Amino acid sequence: MNAHPHSRGRAAPACAIRGHAYVEAPFTGVAALRDQPSPPSAPALPARFLRHCDEQTVVAVRAVLDVLSRLDEPPTPESCGVVAAPCQAGRIVTARSLSQLRTGGAVTVSPHIVPQCSLHSVAGAVSVALGLHGPHLGIGGGPEALAEGLFAAFSLFECGACTSCWLLLSDWEREPALDAAGGPLGDPVCRGLALLLVPEPAACPGATRVVLAEPSGLVAPLSTDDEPVDLAAFSRVIGMCAAGAALTAWGVPCPWPARIRVESRPAASASHRREAA
Amino acid sequence: MTAARNAREPVVITGVGTVSPLGSSFDEVADALLAGRSGVRSIDPGPHAREAVQFAAPVSGIPTPSREACSLDAEGFARLGRLERLCLAPAAAAVADAGLPTTGGRIGLVLGLGAEHLKTWELDFLDGGTRVFDGDRDRSLVHRLARLLGLRGPALTVAAACASSGYAMALGRTWIDSGWIDACLVGGCDILSPTSIAAFYNMRALSRRTDDPAKASRPFDGDRDGFVMGEGGAFFMLERRSAAAARGVHIRGELAGVGMSSDGLHMVIPSTDPVHAARAIVAALADAGVAPDEVDYVNAHAAGTPVGDVAEAGAIRMALGPAADGIPVSSTKSMSGHLISGAAAFEALACLAAIDRQAAPPTVNLDHPDPGCVLDHVPHVARPRTIRVAASNSFGFGGSNLCLVLRAA
Repeated sequence: MNAHPHSRGRAAPACAIRGHAYVEAPFTGVAALRDQPSPPSAPALPARFLRHCDEQTVVAVRAVLDVLSRLDEPPTPESCGVVAAPCQAGRIVTARSLSQLRTGGAVTVSPHIVPQCSLHSVAGAVSVALGLHGPHLGIGGGPEALAEGLFAAFSLFECGACTSCWLLLSDWEREPALDAAGGPLGDPVCRGLALLLVPEPAACPGATRVVLAEPSGLVAPLSTDDEPVDLAAFSRVIGMCAAGAALTAWGVPCPWPARIRVESRPAASASHRREAA
Repeated sequence: MTAARNAREPVVITGVGTVSPLGSSFDEVADALLAGRSGVRSIDPGPHAREAVQFAAPVSGIPTPSREACSLDAEGFARLGRLERLCLAPAAAAVADAGLPTTGGRIGLVLGLGAEHLKTWELDFLDGGTRVFDGDRDRSLVHRLARLLGLRGPALTVAAACASSGYAMALGRTWIDSGWIDACLVGGCDILSPTSIAAFYNMRALSRRTDDPAKASRPFDGDRDGFVMGEGGAFFMLERRSAAAARGVHIRGELAGVGMSSDGLHMVIPSTDPVHAARAIVAALADAGVAPDEVDYVNAHAAGTPVGDVAEAGAIRMALGPAADGIPVSSTKSMSGHLISGAAAFEALACLAAIDRQAAPPTVNLDHPDPGCVLDHVPHVARPRTIRVAASNSFGFGGSNLCLVLRAA
């Protein structure tokens, strides 16, 4: 994005990953996480905080708590934002609710379905759970949510809205087919990845970088037919980068002509960034 | 945010489109708002209604977009689902109003929409479909809209509950500021549905004044008992002022400031401590480089809920200080109902109307202002005055707080 007159001389937007955790649980295992979301040495949530939450919220919250359990210093609540990009969250609750609506009428509709099963719900739950005061947003909602969530996190840093940001990506490994009462057929796996992002100048040297890049010259030519990146594969790449693997350019295709690049090269220091600008 | 923002070129609004309970053009809506007309009325309760009598602020007709802005003809448009039509019609109208060629340009799209899949599944189900059960992944509406409008820049959906479309405006401005794109179509819309009405009703968030629907939406009034749901929304084309000037296009106003924060307290109930909502207002004014006494009008979020209106009044007073005594504040939800995802964009449009017509729209039904909401209210009728700077508040479930500042061109 450097070629345009209005962005000339500016480095491609980048941020660094300060912590990450990936959680997956079968549908039948989500209840246990819902009742006991906090691992040892992570902040305890209020009792039954997740009782009305969608499954994707439950695994995303657990992933956040896993990251926090390993951090020396949590992000500052006053300036920490949340971007959550779930993929078709709320399907099971919605199906149940609609089945009940048909048989029992509107009196059966839970008042929790709007606050707990909308696109903003995962972000809202994490914001409330941790008492964060930066903005919190739900992003995407469909199969392109991973790239959209990354792009939204760049946007929050770009406008200076926060100094750190939780990026939460969640989906079902395979979108569950449901029976007539809204119950899932089989035992589908729900997945959540939490990344704690900081603007690049604030990153420690060696941190994994995420860079917004146009296709020209930076990564392989973009095909608009690219399939969305699988969340587990993306999580493995993040893990490899964090472990020091020499990965230089792993691209996440966006649903528009751009790619988001993940790389394990050392993050630039603040002085390098100033020089580049 | 302030220093960086003030050094950058202003981002202005060159296109407006709306579909709402008060009309489907800027002038229709401005006329209705300034005349104090209500869009709230009784609606067909349908087979899944919670009560025998129901009321809301529905959209009565969705205009077919012009072919200059949308690749669909009238037949193709009519085949779309109602949610798609509610979003596409105002979005295409904003593109046409801006007169900005979409071919070859770097034009983005940010759609504020809080429950796209929930609504899509529900409407399909009520129509006899099985999509909610099928286990398919559907491409997001925003990408279908971008294709129909010929927009090739970044496109995404953003949700912050009732502040969703305001955050869409904030993100679009950031992308332009950053040089990522040249222009951005931003806004949001929402749709009435049996499940959403029932959920809010069962939450006791909706007014139950079934005997007189037009009097039901009464923000800041001592007799308020909840909000009235509406549908529709608004879209805007944003671009740099120099680009708009070079095209010689009419500039409707500047998106001068954005402030955002979260309560971090509760999934539904707003904080009674006004400090976090006030922080968003203060940040928006600082971003715009505007002092409190330079604000000429505040369009309040005030939906008519007992807790929310008091909390917002406190936040406005905390943010504006003594200047609050002389700044007219009104809630246009008293006329439009609460457009949910589309509310923030629609209320930004109300601010543009106030700037265009040089008058503060009223809060209708404000017969007995709540003593807990001490503000310079505009009850019943519009108040003519010089309006150069208008602020619009939007708050949402999860404690999401947003303030936009709009300035005359």
